[in-house]
Amino acid sequence: MVGLSVGEKHFIQGGIAQDLRSDGRKRLTYRPIYVETGVIPQAHGSARIRLGATDVIASVKGELGKPSALQPDKGKIAIYVDCSPTAAPMFEGRGGEELSTELSVALQRCLLGGKSGAGSGIDPSSLVIVEGKVCWDLYIDGLVISSDGNLLDALGAAIKAALSNTGIPKVNVASETSGDEQPEVNISDEEFLRFDTSGIPVIVTLTKVGRHNIVDATSEEESQMSSAISISINRKGRICGLTKRGGAGLDPSIILDMISVAKHVSEQLIDKLDSEIAAAEADEEES
Amino acid sequence: MAAKPGSAPTTYSPSLIQKTRPPIFKDNDLDWVRPDGRGFHQCRPAFFRTGAVNSASGSAYAEFGNTKVIVSVFGPRESKKAMMYSDIGRLNCNVSYTTFATPVRGQGSDHKEFSSMLHKALEGAIMLETFPKTTVDVFALVLESGGSDLPVVISCASLALADAGIMMYDLVAAVSVSCLGKNLVIDPILEEESYQDGSLMLTCMPSRYEVTQLIFTGEWSTLDINEAMQLCLDACGKLGKVMRSCLKEAASASQE
Amino acid sequence: MEYVSPEGLRLDGRRPMEMRQIRAEIGTVARADGSAVFEMGNTKVIAAVYGPREVQNRSQQISDQALVRCEYSMANFSTGDRRRKPKGDRRSTEISLVIRQTMEACILTHLMPRSQIDIFVQVLQADGGTRSACINAATLALADAGIPMRDIVTSCSAGYLNSTPLLDLNYIEDSAGGPDVTVGILPKLDKVTLLQMDAKLPLDIFENVMGLATEGCKAVANYIREVLLENTKQLEYRRGL
Repeated sequence: MVGLSVGEKHFIQGGIAQDLRSDGRKRLTYRPIYVETGVIPQAHGSARIRLGATDVIASVKGELGKPSALQPDKGKIAIYVDCSPTAAPMFEGRGGEELSTELSVALQRCLLGGKSGAGSGIDPSSLVIVEGKVCWDLYIDGLVISSDGNLLDALGAAIKAALSNTGIPKVNVASETSGDEQPEVNISDEEFLRFDTSGIPVIVTLTKVGRHNIVDATSEEESQMSSAISISINRKGRICGLTKRGGAGLDPSIILDMISVAKHVSEQLIDKLDSEIAAAEADEEES
Repeated sequence: MAAKPGSAPTTYSPSLIQKTRPPIFKDNDLDWVRPDGRGFHQCRPAFFRTGAVNSASGSAYAEFGNTKVIVSVFGPRESKKAMMYSDIGRLNCNVSYTTFATPVRGQGSDHKEFSSMLHKALEGAIMLETFPKTTVDVFALVLESGGSDLPVVISCASLALADAGIMMYDLVAAVSVSCLGKNLVIDPILEEESYQDGSLMLTCMPSRYEVTQLIFTGEWSTLDINEAMQLCLDACGKLGKVMRSCLKEAASASQE
Repeated sequence: MEYVSPEGLRLDGRRPMEMRQIRAEIGTVARADGSAVFEMGNTKVIAAVYGPREVQNRSQQISDQALVRCEYSMANFSTGDRRRKPKGDRRSTEISLVIRQTMEACILTHLMPRSQIDIFVQVLQADGGTRSACINAATLALADAGIPMRDIVTSCSAGYLNSTPLLDLNYIEDSAGGPDVTVGILPKLDKVTLLQMDAKLPLDIFENVMGLATEGCKAVANYIREVLLENTKQLEYRRGL
């Protein structure tokens, strides 16, 4: 992956220990976030997020489908991530698949909550049109265009921005049908439903390098990590998901410490992200 | 494969911790019981046996209620030629389901992520530097899925690794907890998993008291996290003892 | 279906010989050696170039010239109806090959023996003419990476519907099933490096259509040259020259 000399490794580790990283940031500072919404006109909602040299696009597309028999009052949401070979030559062919699955699963876990939908960023029952018959299936696609570490946080932010940008067409059910018949529906071209995105959590990844935690690690810094914890936290300060990466074991009390640090960081991140999204939306409307 | 008569299956339920807040339900006026009649903090009996597959360097079979898992370990053997030189060993994990593992035939295939999760849970415990340039393959097969599949797979895999004589810092024990409403339910079965509001899986090395993998879903408050983690850590410690005794049993049997 | 109205306007309001709006941007993928975004109307493509660098797979190494590789991939959300396609299906393999051969023809491969150049193109939005857009994006990315080339390659497509030659087909016109001619040229050398057509056309009309596509290529070339020049000026400015 990242080839670093012994000197470079020491430099990165030493900088982190002194709270001054190679790009001048402090340990708990994010790189500037740039948000652009509506980048994919063909989708119902889309956004592009740039975090330093990390560049991701998320798009949301809704399709009419049938709710599953087990949960007739809930629509389906699926998250898929693709790593484009443009980001790194190693993603060529099937090379990116492993990372793609890992990211998809982590995002699903962090954003969609438990099986029953509790703790989900989007209420799946708001996607139902006719209970047990018609619902929206929401497909969220992420694409990594350029990667310089911290993909999960960037993708999480991109999905949040894309969902804020999403307008799902309003569906009118033509007539009441009985029995097993599929009701006729008609999709409005003018009226759109917006999601309430205030509940969507942000993902904060704390990377442990040496004895210190850093946020928003670049790929050089990630190569020096012993372990990393990605925590998704919503505005209410509740944990909506957590995954750990990296081999080294951690003491349970350290994990709890990391969670409280992440909570603190997430407050600033949510505010920053919300204002960036609002600015991007305003920009889009102007042009 | 049931437990041998005489050696009763051991359970590893955590001892009830001193809660900082009063329990929501008194034990006698619960509004529901678990489908298999267990208490909320009571685990299914755990059964382990090593040496289930003869051709493998090490293997283990685990049975937790209806969840039945077999794990075989091959290696360390030479890494594939195409792989680059590495001065530490490689760990290759794969989790698969039999077609008859789930109530509906062939539905167990949507667990692509289990392989990488197994890898992450184990890699921190194995001394990879002891077998450079080589690969250890861990193949797990879920014979029957009865809930908490991944924790069972992870515990069973660490036992199989120990059976294969792979150097490890410690055994890895894994336990999951489901959050149903306001209740924390340990070692959930399939039915409970499908209705859960949130879940937590914790894998740890009991003797070192280190967490190798931790996964949350659903919405949690810090207080709940604390409680659930304590519960899991306690259960992991006990599960570790069960696993250890299984290894000792196998070792003493082979000496005879 | 009527693709050209009696007033001589196409479905998206263009004249038959009118191209869609093109836009290009250099240096969009920060970590690549060279990269570019190319847009033709709603079609949007990103290209990234890595190299020249050491050959990854030794058995593919060529002792007297550089190895050029190309991979074309489409984003899940690029088409109107969302579908998840497996990687490396026949269509993308074919386009990868076309792009590779076209680019190989203009790169001075003999200057970089025993090395490898990777071109990755990613389609963000597909609305007809992805092949051309990919080649144009790849040219820009190669130029950005500073890889020596004989000339820039530019590409454009043209079709023939309702007995009218049409420049730069969009998705609806492309899926009408009429002939679709994709041409790639080296504008300064005035040479054709790529010529593809499906369906049949009488020879005299073919000449017309191909001429139109070639004109399109030249227009694209002018634009690309402008973009490159602008980019170079900016680089110069940043260096304080």
